[in-house]
Amino acid sequence: MAKLILKNVFKRYENKDKKKKKAVNPLAVNNFSLETEDGEFIGILGPSGCGKTTSLRMIAGLEDITDGEIYIGDMKVNDVDPKDRGIGLAFEDYALYPPLSVYDNIAFNLKAKNVSADDIKKEIDRIAPMLKVEELLEMRPAKLSGGQKQRVNLARAIIRKPKLLLLDEPMSHLDGKMRQVLRIELQRLHKEIKCTTIIVTHDQLEAMSLADRIAIMKDGELQQFGTPLEVYDNPVNEFVAGFIGEPPMNINTVKVEKTDKGTFFKFVDADIAIPVPDRYLPVVSEGMKVRLGVRPTDLMIGDENSKGSDAKISVFENLGEERKISFRVGTEFLTLVTPDEKRYKQGDPVKLEVKADKTHLFDVETGEVIRAK
Amino acid sequence: MAKIDLVNVTKRFNKTVALDGIDLTIHDKEFFVLFGPAGAGKTTLLKVIAGVEFPEVGEVRISDENVNLVEPAKRNISMVFENYALYPHMNIFDNIASPMRSPLYKKDEATIKREVHKVASMMKIDHLLERLPSQVSNGQRQRTALGRALVRDPNVFLMDEPIAHLDAKLRHVMRAELKEMQHEFSTTTIYVTHDYLEALSLGDRVGIINEGKIVQIGTGEEVYLTPANEFVARLMGDPEINIFEIDLVDEDGVLGGVMLGQKKPHLIPEDVAKVINDGGYTKIRIGLRGNDFNYSFTKVSPEYMDATVYSVEPIGNKTILVVDVNGEKLRVIAPNDIKVELDQPIYVNVKMDKAMFFNAEDGNFIIRHNQKQLLEVD
Repeated sequence: MAKLILKNVFKRYENKDKKKKKAVNPLAVNNFSLETEDGEFIGILGPSGCGKTTSLRMIAGLEDITDGEIYIGDMKVNDVDPKDRGIGLAFEDYALYPPLSVYDNIAFNLKAKNVSADDIKKEIDRIAPMLKVEELLEMRPAKLSGGQKQRVNLARAIIRKPKLLLLDEPMSHLDGKMRQVLRIELQRLHKEIKCTTIIVTHDQLEAMSLADRIAIMKDGELQQFGTPLEVYDNPVNEFVAGFIGEPPMNINTVKVEKTDKGTFFKFVDADIAIPVPDRYLPVVSEGMKVRLGVRPTDLMIGDENSKGSDAKISVFENLGEERKISFRVGTEFLTLVTPDEKRYKQGDPVKLEVKADKTHLFDVETGEVIRAK
Repeated sequence: MAKIDLVNVTKRFNKTVALDGIDLTIHDKEFFVLFGPAGAGKTTLLKVIAGVEFPEVGEVRISDENVNLVEPAKRNISMVFENYALYPHMNIFDNIASPMRSPLYKKDEATIKREVHKVASMMKIDHLLERLPSQVSNGQRQRTALGRALVRDPNVFLMDEPIAHLDAKLRHVMRAELKEMQHEFSTTTIYVTHDYLEALSLGDRVGIINEGKIVQIGTGEEVYLTPANEFVARLMGDPEINIFEIDLVDEDGVLGGVMLGQKKPHLIPEDVAKVINDGGYTKIRIGLRGNDFNYSFTKVSPEYMDATVYSVEPIGNKTILVVDVNGEKLRVIAPNDIKVELDQPIYVNVKMDKAMFFNAEDGNFIIRHNQKQLLEVD
């Protein structure tokens, strides 16, 4: 068990194309700092190309660090061999040895370290039930399902009692139901071994459901680091707001308009206007354009006395547990999700209300959050 | 415009039965969703209708005419696949016009112009005709693909998982896009998907297929609220429905169910009890979705069952708890700000008025409380 600390870590891949000697690649990881608690489960989340896997590979020692420092526990590991860093690794590819049984696959690293056969057996007996692979020990990898292979892979990673467990998209090969099962098992496993764990993923659902805290990356830079509820409720910019949550947050351009009835956010591409929540009045001015963010569950249909905005339903979907109602806004939709069982039709006029305390504002230019004073 | 009838359609690939005596009528102008897991036979059925695969046994009829021997190109069927396959070097106009420039459906340029404009205005892309596919939004690309498929006024419109390749967030948007323009095309449509949200959202009716057989046909509400059997119930909803056995006990004519190692039975609603008694069912399983539970951190009443928290997944607008009741793992939906630790005690109760009752012998649906009222459309 150990803390993981990244201090101002940079990564720039060298240009291997000799014809373009002078061209410099952009930074793959740009000034990434992160400090975990001991035993914490951390998600590194972002779209492809955001630098998340590169970061993990630098932590593992599979990639040189261009600049900065990485500590595992008290040990600075910049120049430490991967095998001496005390890490367990599980990748998207299971990379099991096909001719070896599951038992021998899990035992492989211990055998290489000349651990006695008795001790190996003891360890495998301890680990196998945690990952529910007891029944599979005699089988060859080819006979296993994808989920089973990943369990064996995880068993192999944790049998060395690593100080730090690194997981790179361990579930992206699996189908939806299998992922759900393995997610729950990973959570249980983490509770049992209490090993500081880093999971790299592009799936916000996976990060939200597993991690104590999530580091969200984009273009090599850390955007936000916080608990699932923090990044969901208080995104620091438009990118994080749109990336976290499903269905995604509605983010539309609105213009501040003053009328005799008060100050409104008027949608630029639709005839919808909602009152500017009081707390934003000091930070907006007439004519100002902002990006307004509202989660689908924070929009409501008002009753006949509602003072909400007039709106016409473009799409009504009855999805079993909940209803999804969409309003056309230019080429986009403004979407509302409700457990209310009332059924509507396309074209029905309704009053649209917003939970004022759940609105987010972002700068039109920079996408940074605009906080209420 | 066409009605489609499939009569005893059977298709084998070597020893695998892909379609097993399918009888199905799809009404004129209906939007019919064919829904099932991978390998169920959905795409094979679509190909048999298109004429790309031959049925071994049975008949395919379009507008009451047997088309078994009619070539695919002559069936006047349009298909839309995953990824739309637009021509990247052609503008939107030429993409939509392309079927009418093919040798089989060749039209003169004046007709083409008229038809393209008609379809484009229907799809609300008439202002984009000069643009290339790369210069329009995802939704507009989808509209172009649909427009191209509709422009020659096909008898039947077949769509094979057209949005399955998109990520979950984009699928939400594209599903709404499709639904918005659905009423614009009054062509008989068969839409194949393995996503239950698409099935519920889009289908006038949903046909559920498993191992080459049609398991249930009904509206989205019917298949969600009254699934034909446990298999259908498990396909619909996320997290997956909880299904477990109960022991029936009759106390002075009042029917109850003892579940999950509890001592006291849970009362079974009267209307349900009557059907169970009249039907002589003895082995019952009940199905409860994630929202069909109450939970508490104190034992508020004897019905609340002792449980422990097995896993906690805060996924944004809600939290999915898995709770362990005497070894049975139940998936329960809780608010997003719930504060719980793994393995802490929790008490859960079932909403018996929301439970679906299945016959444990064959897994078939029997009844649920207030079934008739639930399905009445106001």
